[in-house]
Amino acid sequence: MPRFTSRDYRRQMLVLTTIYVAVMLLVWPHARNASSLPWKIVLALAPVLPVVQLIWLMAKRAVHSDELEQRVHLVALSTATGFICVLCLVGGFLCAAGVLTVGGDVLIWVFPVLCVSYGAARWQLARRYGGLGCE
Amino acid sequence: MNNHVRELRETKGWSQGQLAEQLDVSRQTVNAIETGKYDPSLPLAFRIARLFHKSIEAIFDPDA
Repeated sequence: MPRFTSRDYRRQMLVLTTIYVAVMLLVWPHARNASSLPWKIVLALAPVLPVVQLIWLMAKRAVHSDELEQRVHLVALSTATGFICVLCLVGGFLCAAGVLTVGGDVLIWVFPVLCVSYGAARWQLARRYGGLGCE
Repeated sequence: MNNHVRELRETKGWSQGQLAEQLDVSRQTVNAIETGKYDPSLPLAFRIARLFHKSIEAIFDPDA
């Protein structure tokens, strides 16, 4: 199986991120003003498509990694998931107790926060192993 | 775990990248193994041993 290089990953990620930004700027603003409900749903969910593709790309990168890289991906993802779980738990309990008022659109931030936490954890782990990239 | 991967690689005159290519891993993984920061799995240890025509025990020393 040919290795999925860091360059391939970055190039495809850049394309998907550009599509996502374009959809957010050009398509998504029309969702609030759409006349029919089906069309509103289509426009509202349009940004999800490039993000799903991005998640698939991240999974592909992990699958094509060697054993040390996979270990780093797994530990970093576990750390990030744990962090998100604690954050959601704290927010949920504070909301339930009436201390905090948060709208449903805060859920949009779950994936970006997961990505940032994953990146930070991965950077820390890569340092432990003497610098690590998926090349 | 101590190992002799670096000495064996240098004896063959290979770079870390060349060894990584033959083992189908990244250069960083070879570096982490050589510096003792990462202990390879059994299948990878066997691949390394086969490549250098040695036994696993001759390359990896768990007591060190």
